[in-house]
Amino acid sequence: MKLSKIFKNTILVLIACLALTACATKKTATSLGGQIQGDVYTGTDSVEYLADGVPDRVFFATNESILTTASRETLRKQAAWLRKNSDVNVVLEGHADERGTREYNLALGERRANAAKDYLMTYGISSDRISVLSYGKERPVDSGSNPLAWSKNRRSVTVKAN
Amino acid sequence: MKKFFILIILFLLPVNSYALIEVDITRGNLNPLPVAVSPLSIDENSKKQFKDILDKEDVGAEISNVVENNLRTSGLFNPLNKDAFLQAPDIANLKPRFEDWNLIKAQALITGKVNFEDGKLRVEFRLWDVLAAKEMMALAFTTVPTNWRRVGHIISDKVYERLTGEKGYFDTRIIYVAEEGPKVKRIKKLAIMDQDGENNKFLTLGNELVLTPRFNPTSQMVTYLSYFKNLPRVYLLDIETGTQEVVGDFPGMTFAPRFSPDGKKIIMSFAKDGKSDIYTMDLENRIVEKITNHPSIDTSPSYSPDGKYIAFNSDRSGYQQIYVMESDGSNVKRISFGNGLYGTPVWSPRGDLIAFTKLHQGQFYIGVMRTDGSGERLLTENYYQEAPSWSPNGRVLIFYRETKSDDDGEGFSAKLWSIDLTGYNERQVKTPTDASDPSWSSLLSN
Amino acid sequence: MNRSLIISSGLHVALIILTALSLPFLAKKPIDLPPIISVELIQITEKTNIPFAPKAKKIIEKVKEKEKQLVSEQAPPKKIEKTKTKTVVSLDQNNETIDNQTPEAVPLPEKTVKQIKTKEEKKQNPEKVDEEVKQVSEFEKKELFDPNSIAALIDKSKQDTTDLKTPKNLVSQDQEKNIENSNLSLSEEDALKAQIFGCWSIPLGLPYDENLLVRIKLKLKPDGSVIDSEILDHARMNKPGQGFYKVLAESALRAIKLCQPLRVPSTGYERWKDLQLNFDAREMLEG
Repeated sequence: MKLSKIFKNTILVLIACLALTACATKKTATSLGGQIQGDVYTGTDSVEYLADGVPDRVFFATNESILTTASRETLRKQAAWLRKNSDVNVVLEGHADERGTREYNLALGERRANAAKDYLMTYGISSDRISVLSYGKERPVDSGSNPLAWSKNRRSVTVKAN
Repeated sequence: MKKFFILIILFLLPVNSYALIEVDITRGNLNPLPVAVSPLSIDENSKKQFKDILDKEDVGAEISNVVENNLRTSGLFNPLNKDAFLQAPDIANLKPRFEDWNLIKAQALITGKVNFEDGKLRVEFRLWDVLAAKEMMALAFTTVPTNWRRVGHIISDKVYERLTGEKGYFDTRIIYVAEEGPKVKRIKKLAIMDQDGENNKFLTLGNELVLTPRFNPTSQMVTYLSYFKNLPRVYLLDIETGTQEVVGDFPGMTFAPRFSPDGKKIIMSFAKDGKSDIYTMDLENRIVEKITNHPSIDTSPSYSPDGKYIAFNSDRSGYQQIYVMESDGSNVKRISFGNGLYGTPVWSPRGDLIAFTKLHQGQFYIGVMRTDGSGERLLTENYYQEAPSWSPNGRVLIFYRETKSDDDGEGFSAKLWSIDLTGYNERQVKTPTDASDPSWSSLLSN
Repeated sequence: MNRSLIISSGLHVALIILTALSLPFLAKKPIDLPPIISVELIQITEKTNIPFAPKAKKIIEKVKEKEKQLVSEQAPPKKIEKTKTKTVVSLDQNNETIDNQTPEAVPLPEKTVKQIKTKEEKKQNPEKVDEEVKQVSEFEKKELFDPNSIAALIDKSKQDTTDLKTPKNLVSQDQEKNIENSNLSLSEEDALKAQIFGCWSIPLGLPYDENLLVRIKLKLKPDGSVIDSEILDHARMNKPGQGFYKVLAESALRAIKLCQPLRVPSTGYERWKDLQLNFDAREMLEG
């Protein structure tokens, strides 16, 4: 009696599990044309250039201020350019996407810009030449309400100050 | 002996008669109380005088409209249609015929009289209990004619308090950020208005970005964040004189400012080298105190009404959560533990609750919890909403909502909304433009 | 991809085994509930059918027998349902037992459960059903073992109604009074309550954790209109800091005025010409 009951239950549960199975996929990247990887924007749509081959911005994952390999690559190029043009000062403008509370986003933007600043400093750029400014979510570059737009807005932009 | 027997019989009789029946009434309805707001009566001479000064046809009717509107938007009252009123305003004010008012199902009645006296506006009003057929309250106010709206708000507060047992919130103002323009280049101005959306005034021109304005609970001062000269700093603005001054001399961004309950200090965040800490500055002696000291982001500080505790937002646990600490920064305790991110904690003026914004699975919630973090209740859910602010009676929350924009950035709007603590009566607060970052003043009449 | 598949299927199998073994245990729980409800029903039957002490004795003996039956029939669920309908029908028909009337029986259990809930709240105890059952059986024990004390109990309650000066203990005393003296039948009481529910606009602004009980004594005419109303605890109306009590009391008075004529029973005027309404807003406000 008990065995058949267990058997019936097992079949039921098995069917239920099969109905609910989900496989891990990497949908986000493929469905958005490969422009986002690990929640960080990897495209070039919104990127501008300080000079030939020197992108002016780096991107971040949601709620994060960690620099990706690509970001560090960009910052190395920026540092090299800054060393060559030693009279240029820059402002690092930090931004966040709109999917967060306003005040926290101001702080998050500052943290992101600072992460970029710290990295530039490790390549010998003096902190006197770099100032940090956060805009929180106030100045998005893409006004859409979708993950791609948001990923473009999570950025730190290096702007010439003089 | 006979007397003894009579006594015994008298004692025995009650045993056979019936005991007092008790019936428990444990439920009622939560319908808004039907109330009749009669237009305030006004004599012809006063009417003409006020028309000349205020350019209003009938200031008596206008004041009663203010009262009617306030009572309706509170969600607790149902002002009845004036067309059904049987008694004229002047007679009703002297001695209402309660049967007439009963006929239209009114349970309370407001009547009054307006007079022009020595260049001043004198308003007298009475609140009647229609069912008990008696007067509940009678008050008179004298003020300058241009303050006629405030008289309406004060009458509303008195009526509200008498009928609900709670202090009202109608004689208050709301300061907020008026927004215009495309999302990528939004023009923002500080604006102030009466709580019912009237008397809207802009306080800044929109040349620089302004955010998160907050009222001083004791004076006509406002604190806010301004990007004047591209340097985001906390400023003070005197509403009466229009003068602005920067708060303190910080070598970096200061933001998220609020006043202490006694109005003597500003509490805010200061961001430097990737972390944000909470600081206070005394407005009199300009002494700055550092309250938190942690490598995380500490922001959105809010004092308890007795000034002893501070609720704030910190990501020291890895994600945005709500913490409470003593006003000197000691005894930091986390109080939010649900699933999701928590932000913008605001301590209720009643001291019993903390309102907050929560983000969970892509949806934003406005909720309240007790000051120890228990009893979390979510009041409303939306694609995007945040930054609740309490009415001075700790009963209503005002916050703002943004709509989704399409991929071209079109269809975006930001509006102010309010909701009652019970979760009922969610409604939009009208503003002339898009709006965000609302903050509620304390009662203007104290 | 492969690794995640293996881990996923491994976890699925583990889950299946766990649930397969645990499901039989889960299935057993619902059976426990019916016996509790049927005991409570007996309680009410007794209450609404005690006009005089001597008759009560007979009824109590009948109930005693019925209870003995139930106690022995607890194990198989089907049997319990049968006794349930029997007792429910007896409420309607004054102890006549009629079979096959399950459709009528269906709404009544809800009413009785409601009745119990209000009693629970008045006790201000946590809402464990177990505790209620204990209380009920304690009360029954009293009656069963000493039926003659009912006369004494009725006397005591008469004294209680005249004694208005001990507000703190009255909540539990009220509960006793309700059980012993409410001479309105369930349907009469429900009719009156339903009427007043519709008339009473509860002011939402009241604090949740204050004493929100307003007791109003009424003198009624045979047609249900009110001759006189009196607020017990009248002193609270003007106490400073108890402003909400005044507001609540006024809302209760308005409800009574609005609801005139009250939905009173068509007979037995002597029973209910003096009626006390206890307005308790706590249930509504705590939600």
